[in-house]
Amino acid sequence: MGKKKRGTQEAATMTEPVAVESTVDNLRGNLEEIKTYEGVIGYILRNSTSATIDLKDPTKIIDYAILSSSSVDASQELSELFDLGDVKKIILEGKEVKILSLTIDENKVSIFTEKNVDQEKILKRIRST
Amino acid sequence: MATWEVKVMSNEVYSFALKSALDEIRNVCPDVTSTFMFREDGEIVAGDESTPEKTMVRVVNAFDSILEKAEAIGGVEGITLEGSNGRVDVSYVKDLYLVTVTSKKADMNFVNTVTRVLIPTVLKLLDNIHPTSLKSNPPSPKIEPEIPAVEESEETVEEDAIEEPKEIIDPETKPELALPEPPVNQLIVENLGGLLVPSDTVRIDTEILSQWDSLYDDKKIEEVIIETFDGKSARSKVKPIKGSKYEGKGIIRMPEKIQIDLGVRKGELVRVKPIVE
Repeated sequence: MGKKKRGTQEAATMTEPVAVESTVDNLRGNLEEIKTYEGVIGYILRNSTSATIDLKDPTKIIDYAILSSSSVDASQELSELFDLGDVKKIILEGKEVKILSLTIDENKVSIFTEKNVDQEKILKRIRST
Repeated sequence: MATWEVKVMSNEVYSFALKSALDEIRNVCPDVTSTFMFREDGEIVAGDESTPEKTMVRVVNAFDSILEKAEAIGGVEGITLEGSNGRVDVSYVKDLYLVTVTSKKADMNFVNTVTRVLIPTVLKLLDNIHPTSLKSNPPSPKIEPEIPAVEESEETVEEDAIEEPKEIIDPETKPELALPEPPVNQLIVENLGGLLVPSDTVRIDTEILSQWDSLYDDKKIEEVIIETFDGKSARSKVKPIKGSKYEGKGIIRMPEKIQIDLGVRKGELVRVKPIVE
């Protein structure tokens, strides 16, 4: 009995990193596909160990990165303040650009699009990760 | 009655009208748990009766860094935060941000219909009635050409400033020939430290100080009253802020001692008004 239990624990330990790795890989794959959608300007993918930024206009990288992390920080603060529970998504709508931010497992994703892009298709794709 | 008094009064009426509209939104849509409005500079204009001012300040602070960088996306038109138990919507209406917090059950189509009709209508009406009310609260010296300067009433004004900060339009405390009520500026606390820094002096923007100086007939403002949203207040000496890093950012640099006395810390909002002597 004891032996069996140990075996299960070991298996779990071994498979966990693979699962995390595959989530990130899937996410990256989905984001690469989303990037080809019309009106998509780029994305930022961050987790505790790495960050990927892919933007059509590299001069905006810093501003967009700050906006992305500020949105996530604000959402956490407001979620606590108003007891909103788990944050599903944050949409920051500018006059020219829209930013969709969400957290998938430990990965924080922000996708930048032109204002008139329908984000539902993007959301569907990203949530299929 | 001085021009400035009329302006303050109309600002009060303006805030009251907006507050009533926000309360009405909550009556019509019970799933709206909180709603308030603030300006781009962070000044809270009006809030519904059940939302504490401290909560509004925290929300404004949370959005601060987003609004600071908003230029990169052409300015913020809206923010939506969707959680598993509810959501927060921020929409830009006529130079103001309207924050609406709703529960999970809320019919967002209905809420949006109400807010997007009611608030712009009220704003438009107020704008028609008194266009200057839409401008920021601190009085500008340019629109204050005829301020009566009566030496005898200075002491009364100072007492009002300390004891009854909110009674701006109370007719009993405002004689016709009094100096203008001290303007109230909302500023963000920033630390002020160092070996040679006096612990009884705060530093604020030179522009605010010169506005006050002009308002009070070029009297030099040397002290201020600082009020917190918890109702604490302290009197302190004031000097202009040093360093371009801090200028024009709506901050008050405050020594630790005053922060402790007031129970505030870096990043929190306080109200500051001049003491005229």
